[in-house]
Amino acid sequence: MADHKLVVSSSPHLRTKETTPRLMGAVLLALLPAALASIVLFGPRALAVMAVTLASALVAEGLYMKIVRKPVTIADGSAAITGLLLAFNMPPMVPLWVPVIGSFFAIIVVKQLFGGLGQNFMNPALAARAFLLAAWPMSMTTGWVVPFDGVTSATPLQVLRGMASARLPETWELLVGMRAGALGETSAVALLLGGFYLLWKGVIDWRIPGCFIGTVALVTWAFGGSGGLFTGNVLAHTLTGGLLLGAFFMATDYVTSPVTRRGRVVMGIGCGLITALIRLWGGFPEGVSYSILLMNVATPLIDRATLPRVFGQRRVKAA
Amino acid sequence: MNLWKDFSNGLVRENPVFRLVLGLCPVLAVTTALMNGFWMGVAVIFVLTCSNVIISVLRNFIPAHIRIPCFIVVIATFVTIVQMTMNAYLPEMYDILGIFVPLIVVNCIILARAEAFASKNRVLNAAADGIGMGIGFTVALMILGAIREFLGTGNLVLNGTALFGGPLFEPAVIMIMPPGAFITMGLVLGLLNAISNRSKARAKAR
Amino acid sequence: MRRKTFGGGVHPPHHKKLTEEQAIRDAREPKLVVIPLSQHLGAPGNPLVQKGDQVAVGQKIGDTDAYVAAPVHASVSGKVVAVEPRMHPALGRPELAIVIESDGEGRVHESVQPKPSVDDLDADTIRSLIREAGLAGLGGAAFPTAVKVSPPRSKPIDTFVLNGAECEPFLTADHRLMVEEAPDIVFGMKALMKAIPVSRGFICIEDNKPDAVRAMKEAVRGEPGLEVVALETRYPQGSEKQMIKSVLGREVPPPPGLPLDVGVVVNNVGTAHALATVLKTGMPLVDRVVTVTGPVITAPANLRVKLGTLFSDLIEQCGGYSALPGKLIMGGPMMGVAQHTAEVPVIKGTSGILALAENQAWDGDPTPCIKCARCVDVCPMQLVPVFMSAYAERGQWDMADRYNAADCLECGCCSYICPAKRPLVQTIRLAKHEILAARRQRAQAR
Repeated sequence: MADHKLVVSSSPHLRTKETTPRLMGAVLLALLPAALASIVLFGPRALAVMAVTLASALVAEGLYMKIVRKPVTIADGSAAITGLLLAFNMPPMVPLWVPVIGSFFAIIVVKQLFGGLGQNFMNPALAARAFLLAAWPMSMTTGWVVPFDGVTSATPLQVLRGMASARLPETWELLVGMRAGALGETSAVALLLGGFYLLWKGVIDWRIPGCFIGTVALVTWAFGGSGGLFTGNVLAHTLTGGLLLGAFFMATDYVTSPVTRRGRVVMGIGCGLITALIRLWGGFPEGVSYSILLMNVATPLIDRATLPRVFGQRRVKAA
Repeated sequence: MNLWKDFSNGLVRENPVFRLVLGLCPVLAVTTALMNGFWMGVAVIFVLTCSNVIISVLRNFIPAHIRIPCFIVVIATFVTIVQMTMNAYLPEMYDILGIFVPLIVVNCIILARAEAFASKNRVLNAAADGIGMGIGFTVALMILGAIREFLGTGNLVLNGTALFGGPLFEPAVIMIMPPGAFITMGLVLGLLNAISNRSKARAKAR
Repeated sequence: MRRKTFGGGVHPPHHKKLTEEQAIRDAREPKLVVIPLSQHLGAPGNPLVQKGDQVAVGQKIGDTDAYVAAPVHASVSGKVVAVEPRMHPALGRPELAIVIESDGEGRVHESVQPKPSVDDLDADTIRSLIREAGLAGLGGAAFPTAVKVSPPRSKPIDTFVLNGAECEPFLTADHRLMVEEAPDIVFGMKALMKAIPVSRGFICIEDNKPDAVRAMKEAVRGEPGLEVVALETRYPQGSEKQMIKSVLGREVPPPPGLPLDVGVVVNNVGTAHALATVLKTGMPLVDRVVTVTGPVITAPANLRVKLGTLFSDLIEQCGGYSALPGKLIMGGPMMGVAQHTAEVPVIKGTSGILALAENQAWDGDPTPCIKCARCVDVCPMQLVPVFMSAYAERGQWDMADRYNAADCLECGCCSYICPAKRPLVQTIRLAKHEILAARRQRAQAR
């Protein structure tokens, strides 16, 4: 016993069992219902897009880390989340090479070149989506199909905006996901299931999704109707597009959202306002991803402006 | 020997775009194609060399207090010459480069070389520096232009002739849009820094 | 009704089952005690005895004229065998200590005489008794009690808070004391209140100790002005500032702010009990209750221990180690001090001795921060550990200061909750040290 070495370290000597891979695992689990729904709705094509995107994201991460001789940490699950989220943002009929390039862009340019996990200033999946949208607009904005019958169709937001004429899906169809849209965004029920799981597990905070969805609902209700104030189609606006996917899974990305509680409220409201602005008056039918990217960039400023009042410090009153 | 050193300085060691990171406005704006970069570079070589020579000749006559306005007058003269010549003989290229030809007047590289080099060195050295810097600038623009044109159109056009029959792949339009300029510039800059850091580290290890 | 509590904090597993049903028993009389002259953050005492002197239990063996200080007393009778530096469990370096070899007789020194009834004592007398008895905060910091109960005139005190939260996992010393010695605790508490003086008192206990709450409620029945309050079980409920916020809703200003600034004095239940002993028997502070526990202790127990007893002696009395220990801690797992040897003495602030298994000793390597903001959510001081720590890691003390790193309690909630296992409080502690040193330097330069 005499020569047995005791560890001496600074307190605390107790650590929670929560680890980064566990948190990432919970997010992946929460994305599972939407992934399954997507396979049911869009068939093997969805499975192929998701598999290719996921695999290329993992390959990109591993390859880069090998090249720069860093320890390979693809097991932490963050690259898998990026890959899956990117796949969720693809139109079902996208050529398969598009998401592969997207994955490499997301992982290498947006994440690793800025310092890897925890250092990226934008959500990698969304930045890659914006890149792909600008690079290959045709591949990224056509290829919307109706689930099951595979017929090309306009998305509900294009219809709402008057950019295309088609039947607006019923509410139950929106809930289940019987509408044209990106792979992972259509099934509201599956997304809500995953989102509430993350809230229940305490993985994400209610403030960002709550304020985001709430703001979009309020603004589209107030200004989205043709018959004057407060005649907008709230349900259609909240259940269509990438709102639920973005609010629960992408705006809440730890790395690119504020660390303060008040900051998360600002983030949610900001995302909501920009989304509603683009949807109602902008040049695109959908604005969720741009709104999140813009708020990502503003995050350091939001954090600085919303630092909490230190315990015991009274706000200085103007004399 | 000295002349060669002044000439080669701008090629790699102090490449105005990749090392000094000066004059980024035309670098980002006109590098949508290889030939655009080339002609922009030629214009800069001409202005830079001529203004370097004149300023070097006049360096003992220009009063220190008003040297910047004097430099600008000299530079503007040559820019006007370039502008008129291009308009006359290369009207299509002149249209493409547009505002960025007159903007050479306020290009940081030219003023910086006038201030930092030409006004302190003899005529021949100033000329060598101007040509070297100009060529370095041109090469950088052509590299960026080639990358962006190839990725953004799937082809390369050399002096009016396309190198390939048609696009080799579905082009990434973003590369010939403004974001493409930033992405390309950032990646090339990062790559060159990585290479030079590595060779520096290797030299240190030895 | 909403449970009384504060903002932030964490819920680490309690691990109190090991000893919470174990009645306090007397530890074996030690053969040798090591009593460091410095027991706390205040000025160290000067030795009053020499090598070779005979001493008796309760005899004062070290004292100083400094204000923030408390004397130390012999805890056994016998011969002083050395006055020399010995390893100190809280300071982590050898400090001047008096080593006494016990003769086993337990002779009591003639100065130890029962004191008059509290009713016959005035506040000044109680305060001087507290000082002479060497009372110090038994919760862990061991701040001299006499200083605590002597608030300056300019700061009127309206409330006394007795701290029985014992929010550190594993520790049950205060818990058992409250269950077994509730009347004495109340007796001591009333004397402390008379010394300040103040008429309103709260006894605050975390609600994971219902038997202690019951016992204390029973003990204060019919005592005007005293009230037992059950607080939510949440670490660091036992921190003075957090406790005052929980029970009174008042926020103590950041350092140099003290509970005094909001009219409150906080003392530990162990301290109140020790004062009761002083008043009833005259015996100064020579022993305390220590929880000897941990997953690799064969028979965990709550022991009444003579100050100066070596850890190794106590661990042996608890059946020794059941497996190789990886870490030996004085205090609880959240704020305790890791020891590199068991040959260190129990001091006034030793609330527990905790032995962790080898696989619990290492945190594992930190992974990159993912800015999950859990540290921000749990910080009871409403600080932003993620930024403070990032600056501290780069040695940018001034930036850490800008994020108020000097206000940190060092409770360790941030490091506990961090999924990336980053050394948050550890680096902030370093920054705090540097910031305070720089401030002192500036103050001196002025």
